[in-house]
Amino acid sequence: MIPLERRSFLALTGVSTAAVVLGTGHPAAAGYDGKVPPAPFTLGVASGSPLPDGVVLWTRLAPEPLAADGHGGMPRRPYTVHYEVADDAAFRRVVARGQALASPELAHTVHVEVRGLRPNREYFYRFRAGDEISPAGRTRTAPGPRDTPTELRFATASCQAWYHGHFTAYEHMATEDLDVIFFLGDYIYEYAINANNLWRQGVPMPAPEHNTETVTLEQYRLRYALFKTDPNLQAIHAHAPWLVTTDDHEVQNNYADEWSETGITPADFLRRRAVAYRAFYEHLPLRAVSLPDGPSMALYQRLGWGRLAEFTMLDNRQYRDTYPAGAVIDNSPERHNPDRTILGTRQERWLYEGIARTRATWNLLSTGVVMAQIDRDTGPGELYSNDMWDGFPANRDRLFAALQRSSATPVVLSGDIHRHVAAELKTDWRDPDSAMLGVELVGGSIGSDGDGADTDSFGPLWLSNPHVKLYNARRGYLTGRLTPTELTSEFKTVPYVTRPGAPITTAARFVTEAGRPALNREV
Amino acid sequence: MPDVVRRLRATGEVGRIRLSWEGEAYHPLVDHYAVYASIDGADETLLAKTVYATFVHSGLGGRARTVRYRIVTVDAAGRRSRPSSSVTGTSVESVAVSGLALATVGTFDHKSLELALAPNGYAQFPTRFPNDVDFTYGVHAPGTDWAYLHPGPADAWAGRKAHRFTLHFDLSPVPPADPWLAIWLIDTHATNPGTVTIGLNGTPVRDVALEKGATRGSLEGDATLPGTTLKPSYVELALPRAALAAGENTVTIDKPAGSWHAYDAIGVFTRP
Repeated sequence: MIPLERRSFLALTGVSTAAVVLGTGHPAAAGYDGKVPPAPFTLGVASGSPLPDGVVLWTRLAPEPLAADGHGGMPRRPYTVHYEVADDAAFRRVVARGQALASPELAHTVHVEVRGLRPNREYFYRFRAGDEISPAGRTRTAPGPRDTPTELRFATASCQAWYHGHFTAYEHMATEDLDVIFFLGDYIYEYAINANNLWRQGVPMPAPEHNTETVTLEQYRLRYALFKTDPNLQAIHAHAPWLVTTDDHEVQNNYADEWSETGITPADFLRRRAVAYRAFYEHLPLRAVSLPDGPSMALYQRLGWGRLAEFTMLDNRQYRDTYPAGAVIDNSPERHNPDRTILGTRQERWLYEGIARTRATWNLLSTGVVMAQIDRDTGPGELYSNDMWDGFPANRDRLFAALQRSSATPVVLSGDIHRHVAAELKTDWRDPDSAMLGVELVGGSIGSDGDGADTDSFGPLWLSNPHVKLYNARRGYLTGRLTPTELTSEFKTVPYVTRPGAPITTAARFVTEAGRPALNREV
Repeated sequence: MPDVVRRLRATGEVGRIRLSWEGEAYHPLVDHYAVYASIDGADETLLAKTVYATFVHSGLGGRARTVRYRIVTVDAAGRRSRPSSSVTGTSVESVAVSGLALATVGTFDHKSLELALAPNGYAQFPTRFPNDVDFTYGVHAPGTDWAYLHPGPADAWAGRKAHRFTLHFDLSPVPPADPWLAIWLIDTHATNPGTVTIGLNGTPVRDVALEKGATRGSLEGDATLPGTTLKPSYVELALPRAALAAGENTVTIDKPAGSWHAYDAIGVFTRP
């Protein structure tokens, strides 16, 4: 950091710049300067939801991030947080400045929606509270809606069980040249953390308040804080803007709308969902529109990367129907009820309208759980996981019908299973010769399930489905390079995560042509 | 300030008191409710924090306990309401405490440890109990002859079939009123606890849907340890006197649906 620039940032009063005030009712963010506890930026910075003219900037004031009450060691009063955005990493050419209010209602997080930036450009940002200055982050804006960029470089990540391993995958991801990162769910896990599941070596056992399933807001906040203390997670947030969705563990395993598998009544479970969504919003770079109202969170969204790609971020938990016949895995007649939905009626309508309107070459659809049909009976019978899109075949059929009417090539990005899987999406799953609609790239977990192996006991099951072209049971991430003519996807793995320092390997590389979707394996 | 909860109610059952209340959940957002309790006149302490508008104060044991409760609402900004009005609840005394034992297996102590294969030897069940449990009071010993875990048809390790546990005991004479059966469980399966069918001398008595537990009772056997995740539950019901016989009687516990449950103790009692 340049001392001169630091001084000018410290001197900034910012009263004339736009204030962004979220969820507090205060008329402006100015006027809450004052002595901030030392070293409050312990959880890093982040950016997200890039538009052609702006991006969301995030940070949290938390001098004691693991304070048991979930308030991060902050006094119960609001603080003004100043931000600046620059063209350069040294902050010599600052292009935007402003302030936001960090309030105890939102655990002293801020979500600044910067506008007025130029399209398709790299920017750098940082925050100040009192005399404290945050680490700097790098972000970028999307291309203009009518531009056709020559390429998009992205990565996907999911399932970061902090206690199962080190985030070495993120350490390597942060060395990649990336425009955006898609996070596909399970940012936290709700489970108690104790000697049974702390496989991450070299860290002390978290305090007893972590040894319980998260139910209250303070517990969810504490869980995000614990995970976000990881330096590699902070580094990858600071590396590129994120687009995020949830899966189940942000609330509770296998939940569906207001239904909990542990028998919590819907009325009580919605109260829990409300605090879980609140903590999710607080800790991710989301727009104010996603600030939950009680148990409802507007999470699904559509963004663009010029004419090259449309990004469709789906919410596959908040509105889904419960298991068709009460079992996670079955092939019940109820599965095929045409009314079944994983997205909910409104999100489905919004999705199909968007698919019909897009003029992009590619449509990247992000969803938490696997979309491809996976028959889990390796014999003549059929069994399906109702926790995945397989529990909602009618919804999948409606989506595929909409995609078939669009000229954009669909690429589905998903997670959940802690395995790298590449699958071709078929118009008729029973006919291997039927047309290919698109491809699905399932990125393995960042940490969940520990070290893993190249394959495991589920490998034959997945690979017995002829449209599945890759199965790898190691931890890692996925990268993609999109051009107007092709997508190159690489599945990256690390050989271990319980101890740090693993090298990175490209386990597989596929090329998919625009308009002729298939998985052509190169590596 | 967050709202003070209203309509705080307490309902006693065997071993526990159920609390429920009403209050605004979302505006402002409730971080949690802090439940304070004074047990049998002792000083008030923080019993639990929950985001739900219900709480089950469990682990009270078989004796009747009287507890006074108050609740403080804590919101997302960390603000605390004043305490609610207090309510007092009393747990129901178990027949295992108040009754006279006619036959028992194990000790009613929230532990499975004195039973066969406890606390985690369930994998040996198919070889140790190939014909399930058939236990005669006064003849057999709990530590070798009554398995701590009763498998259900959902359990592949026990052959995916219904299992019957049988208890024989002598009565002479037949008591003048219905005796009671007490089944204490230290835990059940969290998502698929299933049902048990109770029979007396070949006559069906009742089907009982078991409560959801924590899926830990197959691995650990002491629900009195601090921080235990085990979720004990209780089944207590009258046995119809008309179905009793002088001499040998037989109670059967069938598990026609669901996964396992883990026993603490079972017994037949006359009520005082």
